[in-house]
Amino acid sequence: MVDLQETHKKFQKELSAGTVSLALLSILAQSSEPLYGYQIGKLVGAGNDESPGVMVKQGAIYPVLRSLEGQGLLSSQRELSDSGPPRRYYQATDAGRQALETWTGIWSQTKDFVDNVLGGDYQ
Amino acid sequence: MKTAEELIITYLADLKAALRGADKATVQDALADAEEHLRTALESEGAEAEAESEALQAVIREYGEPAEIAQAYLDWEAALPPALAATPAARRAQTASANGSSPAARSYPGFFGVYADPRTWGGLVYMLISIITGTLYFSWAVTGLSTSLGVMVLIIGIPITILFLLSFRGIAFLEGRLVEALLGERMPRRASFTDSSLPWRERLKILLTGKATWLSWLYMILMLPIGVVYFSLMVTLLALALGLIASPAGVAFMIVQGIPVSIIRTAEFSWFMTPSQAILLSLVIAALGVIIATGTMHLARWVGRIHGKFAKALLVSD
Repeated sequence: MVDLQETHKKFQKELSAGTVSLALLSILAQSSEPLYGYQIGKLVGAGNDESPGVMVKQGAIYPVLRSLEGQGLLSSQRELSDSGPPRRYYQATDAGRQALETWTGIWSQTKDFVDNVLGGDYQ
Repeated sequence: MKTAEELIITYLADLKAALRGADKATVQDALADAEEHLRTALESEGAEAEAESEALQAVIREYGEPAEIAQAYLDWEAALPPALAATPAARRAQTASANGSSPAARSYPGFFGVYADPRTWGGLVYMLISIITGTLYFSWAVTGLSTSLGVMVLIIGIPITILFLLSFRGIAFLEGRLVEALLGERMPRRASFTDSSLPWRERLKILLTGKATWLSWLYMILMLPIGVVYFSLMVTLLALALGLIASPAGVAFMIVQGIPVSIIRTAEFSWFMTPSQAILLSLVIAALGVIIATGTMHLARWVGRIHGKFAKALLVSD
């Protein structure tokens, strides 16, 4: 018997790889001030029980942030907080904002295409 | 029932275990991210002391299981190679090494392919500047330790010692960035996490007795002799090679000026070469210079690779 649970997981993982990058970049480009990981996690509602499977776990957004930073789309700064541990604040760079425009275009094309196929309108 | 502190420590240990075998720098980054998140979350939830561990369990559920998070880091790490590895040639090399053949041989073929490899130039630059960085590191390490020991008996000695020890870690982190940029060895992109909720005595103890502090210090000390050797080696070899390569120009100058080119000249005996013999010989010498220069480039790339491993062993703690 096919392990459907595993198949679902695999599909979701493959799908989320790009969309999470897009969502995080968009959140940081829209934000007027730099945000730290915990805030971003709260904003995307990652890992909460009401929408399981829509987004990745909160812990999984950190490697994505790091990857985006490595590509020069985000910049980050570590700052001490009044209470609690020091936090790393992320914000979108100019290159990140440019990338977001292109990515948004790609996303809407992809979305239209998939919607059309799923709706049976492609013929 | 575990306290919140114990839960965090357990989680970090589990995450570290799940990342066993992964790149040390990745592990350090992952642990720093997780610890920052869990502590910030705990702080922001603002739970009462007795409800803290329950609140934290919810936070951990949302953060994700250690195995799951470890997998996320490994996936993204695979998609984001270190600085120099992003060049097309290095990507080809990666594919080649995946196929089981030697990566260096594939991507930069032949003896002279070394000139096209960015790691060669990174290694060369690193070796040349290491005499400066090495001197600075050594001076700072020695000044720091001796000043700290000297004033330790005074009250003022404690903050001075802390500042110096912290600076060792900071410098180790910066050197790591330099090593990744020039030598292409993956190094931490986050400074290692220090838990600010611990009492200062505990933090001081970690700083004073931590392996990371003293290995960084040792690295700074060792960088002086290493830097001197690197610099001397590169300057000597390159000067020799350039001198040999320039010999045809010298011979041409002598011929134009009408100066005889002698090969053996003692009080009783001298043997002069004809202009064509002299030019031929100088071309052979120049070819030797090219071989030495290229050999030096191979040496720079090789030393760069070895130094990357060495820096990682000392500067990135488990």
